[in-house]
Amino acid sequence: MNLNRKSRSITAFFLLGACVFIFFILNICIGSVGIALPDMARAFGGRESNETITRILWDIRLPRATAVLILGGALSLAGYLLQTFFNNPIAGPFVLGISSGAKMVVALVMVFLMGKGIRVTSAAMIFAAFMGAMLSMGFVLLMSHRIHNMSMLVVSGVMIGYICSAVTELVVTFANDADIVNLHNWSRGSFSGMTWENVKVMTVVVAIVYLAVFLMSKPLGAYQLGDAYAQNVGVNLQLLRVCIVIFSSILSACIVAFAGPISFVGIAVPHLVKKLLNTTEPIRMIPACFVGGSAFCLFCDLLAKTILAPTELSISTVTAIFGAPVVLWIIKGRKA
Amino acid sequence: MKNYYFSTKKMCVGYDNKPIIKDMEISLPRGEILCLIGPNGAGKSTVLKSIARQLKLLGGTAYIGQDDLSQMKADELAKRMSVVFTERVKVELKSCRDMVATGRYPYTGWFGILSEDDERIVDEVMELTHITDISEKDFDKISDGQKQRVMLARAICQEPEIVILDEPTSYLDIKYKLEFLLLLQEMRKKRGLTVIMSLHELELAKIVSDKILCLKGEYVERYGTPEEIFESDFIEQLFDINEKNFFGNEKLFAYVKQIGRYER
Repeated sequence: MNLNRKSRSITAFFLLGACVFIFFILNICIGSVGIALPDMARAFGGRESNETITRILWDIRLPRATAVLILGGALSLAGYLLQTFFNNPIAGPFVLGISSGAKMVVALVMVFLMGKGIRVTSAAMIFAAFMGAMLSMGFVLLMSHRIHNMSMLVVSGVMIGYICSAVTELVVTFANDADIVNLHNWSRGSFSGMTWENVKVMTVVVAIVYLAVFLMSKPLGAYQLGDAYAQNVGVNLQLLRVCIVIFSSILSACIVAFAGPISFVGIAVPHLVKKLLNTTEPIRMIPACFVGGSAFCLFCDLLAKTILAPTELSISTVTAIFGAPVVLWIIKGRKA
Repeated sequence: MKNYYFSTKKMCVGYDNKPIIKDMEISLPRGEILCLIGPNGAGKSTVLKSIARQLKLLGGTAYIGQDDLSQMKADELAKRMSVVFTERVKVELKSCRDMVATGRYPYTGWFGILSEDDERIVDEVMELTHITDISEKDFDKISDGQKQRVMLARAICQEPEIVILDEPTSYLDIKYKLEFLLLLQEMRKKRGLTVIMSLHELELAKIVSDKILCLKGEYVERYGTPEEIFESDFIEQLFDINEKNFFGNEKLFAYVKQIGRYER
């Protein structure tokens, strides 16, 4: 069993890693301008390369693919944390309204600052999104004290999401014409327009949170047995809860700040990864969810870019097509 | 107080600052089994949860040896006290062995990886609790009785000095009930394990316990050895049973009488 499990994990990680690698390369090659592999190699080698291709690769494709890799992993990890926290397989930053809360505050801040002609930095965006995420999270936690039925909790999360989205729409409608196009694209979720500056900031934030979450894998594992047993083996429940809430909010905030709200990845990927690994142990799930999320989002972004090229689909359209059926599958598999 | 492993002084337990049972005085030597009995809703679980620090004491103190329970560090307490509660545990994709192994938590390192010693202890405890054969079965798919035994194994795996059990026999059939209690007695003999548990089955409480605590109303109704508890018609009083309840059904009333009596 133990050996079996180990080899299964290794196979799974290898598989997920291969998916990430393949989709990453495809994402760089495919787009409005196709780039053949030899051209790409030449562009990175720096010898006798085509200036246009080099610019496309370095300024557009690479930062975008890297951002998808990081944010996809972060999104899936945020979903896994929330599922563990609520002991509910369909909890996630999107269904609980956390992404929408973050989106609302970011929209408010952007419209307000842009109206005054102030440029909004990446860090400020993340901070605004974090405040929004915490706002929604606060509501969800308040509700979870009152209602213990998990499906009702998800319903109230969805309602919070609707309220926040409505406010966002309102704000976007009243924004200056010039800003609308940008805001509108972003508020539907998109990975386009990533810069190296963005990538730098998100890498730092996500790497720190990822490390912190990974270091929490032992108490997280005990937490899966429920409060009473976790406390009995010496877990500091309050501290752990605060950490989960803050870390999942930072991850959600980071995604929303850069790519807008993205649906279903947070639920679908941890579930698929869990089935693949055949375990719920956090020490395996945390890295696997991250890699799985990266692979899934790279795949979805590839489709978003190519299906109706040159028009780009919003990323949520694609993630919903693949993610929502997984959610239905989870619900179907539940024993009442 | 020196000779007692577990003791309380004016302990007061309850929820949300509303006391349910006040001024509890318990003293239990090492290696003895204490049973809590009393009618439904008398607060047996509340007492157990308070001792296990799941609920804050509303007053008084509880001691393990000389140490004030409320002052002990969580990881230190985890090495001395383990619990088995009645609440169902909902987990996914965990084998029974995984569940038992979670008891090693206080002893493993930062990432919770089991050492060879840990693995050996897990195997031994599973052998001891007769669950080796279901070791690799999915915990989610075994019977309630089997789950109960796995959870006991988990508690023993924690290598505690004292174990708190809330109605541990409730899902077990008669054979496993007896086996379960036998196991507790064996653990007591071999490792000096002290046990505090609530039991619904008075006949069993009578046989296995060294001390019995009767709960009813605001204060401890009676605390003593089985001989002291199972005498005259105290049990009938404790559970508010009298002849009128039986509409002249002699057999049932005789049964109650028999339970309430202590025989050597």
